[in-house]
Amino acid sequence: MSEVRISAEPRTEFGKGGARRTRRAGKVPAVLYGHGEKPKHIALPARDLAAAIRHGGMTQVFDIAFADGSSTLALPKAIQRDPVKDTFEHVDLLIVRRGERVTVDVPVVLVGEAARDTLVMHEHETLSVIADATRLPDHLDASIEGLGAGSHVTAGDVKLPDGVELAAEPEMVLVVVTAAPTAEQLAAEGGEAPSVEAEQVAETEGQASAEAA
Amino acid sequence: MLMPRKPPKGFRKPHHPDRHGAAKGGTRVAFGEFGIQALEPAYVTNRQIEAARIAMNRHIRRGGKVWITIFPDQAITKKPAETRMGSGKGSPEWWVANIKPGRILFEMSFPNEAIAREALRRAIHKLPMKCRIVTREGAEG
Repeated sequence: MSEVRISAEPRTEFGKGGARRTRRAGKVPAVLYGHGEKPKHIALPARDLAAAIRHGGMTQVFDIAFADGSSTLALPKAIQRDPVKDTFEHVDLLIVRRGERVTVDVPVVLVGEAARDTLVMHEHETLSVIADATRLPDHLDASIEGLGAGSHVTAGDVKLPDGVELAAEPEMVLVVVTAAPTAEQLAAEGGEAPSVEAEQVAETEGQASAEAA
Repeated sequence: MLMPRKPPKGFRKPHHPDRHGAAKGGTRVAFGEFGIQALEPAYVTNRQIEAARIAMNRHIRRGGKVWITIFPDQAITKKPAETRMGSGKGSPEWWVANIKPGRILFEMSFPNEAIAREALRRAIHKLPMKCRIVTREGAEG
């Protein structure tokens, strides 16, 4: 995946007030650290950052350009989002070097269609791999073509691109294919133990009447 | 209907849970492919959860799976009608889940996206607040 060049401004004010002023100015507060360097507090343009993350996800490598002309490569380590507005609130960036091998979680994309009347359950969305920091895969394909009920796809079954090693356990289950529930099973799902429920209602009512008396 | 087997001692008649702030966790679709996300704070009762679940399951009929990612663990009390003030707090009347904006309430896995969205839309009509349908990758209006 290609690097995205993004300009960074140093941050001078901290805390929630400063962070909110930064966000109101159309920037995202961020921190840059790694390789034993002192953490740098920076602000990144919100629009450019959102577009890059939307396209490349957590494996997008950034070329952070500073006002003094220097630049550094960095990978997003942690992203805090607003759950309702879905905007970025803060980003942690980890400094990486060209040619360095890093461990990252890469999204797994399912390819193909499982057999009829089956339900595909994604147990793990991402797979941990070790790869060159500047040549990270943006996703990994896991084939579920024709899989029947009771079968599964493990981390070892995923075809990795050249230069990418598996960091996770090869036996880790990524996808489970189960028989699709019938209408009766769906209806029965919520009505578990009605007798216990009835008992509780009776108990609550009994207590209420005792208290009223 | 969902309710705690036995509320912990001292939590049978709690004060009303606070309704400020946004959800701290459970804000991303984790199990299924689609989900219902709350956009407003609300108390969701076990009856509303059950009604939404039934509405979803009736629409998808078979071949899908539904997850309920909230639990009504807060008791709301009520004093009987025409009772004079005093003589203690009322008895537990409803069980509610205290929902903050951003919380995922239900998740669904179903092969046909159009049917899944319609099922979730019907479920949203049973809930007491504004909600939206989100997918596993990210929120969509």
